[in-house]
Amino acid sequence: MKEDKGERSIVTETISRVMIPFIQLFSLYVIIHGAVGPGGGFQGGVVFGASIILYITAFNLTDGRRRFPESASIVLSSSGLYLYAGIGLLSILFSAGVAQYLNYGFIPLSGQFEQNRALGMELVEIGIGLTVMAIVASIFFDLAHKAEPKNKKEETD
Amino acid sequence: MRGLSISALILIGLLGALFIYVYEDLPAFGDPNAPAIKYTKLFSMAAHDSEEQLGQGVIPQELISKLKERGFPRPSRVESDPESENGWNVFIPKNEFHYDKEEKYYFIQKKGDELNVFRNAFVIRWIEKGLKETGVPNMVTYGLADYRSYDTLGETTVIFTAGISVILLLRRRGRL
Repeated sequence: MKEDKGERSIVTETISRVMIPFIQLFSLYVIIHGAVGPGGGFQGGVVFGASIILYITAFNLTDGRRRFPESASIVLSSSGLYLYAGIGLLSILFSAGVAQYLNYGFIPLSGQFEQNRALGMELVEIGIGLTVMAIVASIFFDLAHKAEPKNKKEETD
Repeated sequence: MRGLSISALILIGLLGALFIYVYEDLPAFGDPNAPAIKYTKLFSMAAHDSEEQLGQGVIPQELISKLKERGFPRPSRVESDPESENGWNVFIPKNEFHYDKEEKYYFIQKKGDELNVFRNAFVIRWIEKGLKETGVPNMVTYGLADYRSYDTLGETTVIFTAGISVILLLRRRGRL
């Protein structure tokens, strides 16, 4: 990781600038494609988090914080879990004692029962992906953040 | 402040009721002691003339009595398995314990002079009915996000808790 005053590597910055959108697009593909092929929420979320980590390593921490602020990581990580739990709560409420497990088929998302289940699964995968992405990025930010501002803080205190 | 604590109490009560509801409703898939393999061998018995009986769609009386002796559900009809020679699928009738529809339950195979009686494990149901029930072709995904979705909810909660713990431990901003 480079500080602001250190020299910038044009090769790293350009390559990561080109690669990051494709990595993020691929991660969204992995999340959505989880229903028909290999993939799913956990994997796609980790790939998206890795793209944020690549941005921080190629540029610097303050730019990364500007792109992905603390509030966003908190809100996204909890909202993904809320999305999953909300879908589960909806399915419990709509099935009202019929289902033996979280049966998304009773949520009236579309006309067909099986299609409801597939759609509910997609929503759940998106929730998992949001949580995993935000948590991976947040852990990396916290681990990397430690070194720089502490000395300044101690001087000011 | 008072309203906040009262609403928090109500929320905790609701969550507790939900937990009890979910706990009461946890699934009982087949025999919990059965290993997760395609067939579980139950016993083998001598094949006198049961092969012809099975071929005509009649269940031998000896098999019925042996199954009843061991406390297994009673078989209702038999048909030959299209995927294996000398193999028969035996079904159990509607409204047996844990099974409200007619299910493929036993598998009988002739080997030498003996009939080996197997039981279809839960995995068979998983493989054969998953696409029809959930509308998703990926076997792993419908296992992860549909049949075992309580489990996945717990896993996501574990990851969330890990992230929150890292935030609490490392984001102290100078104070200890």
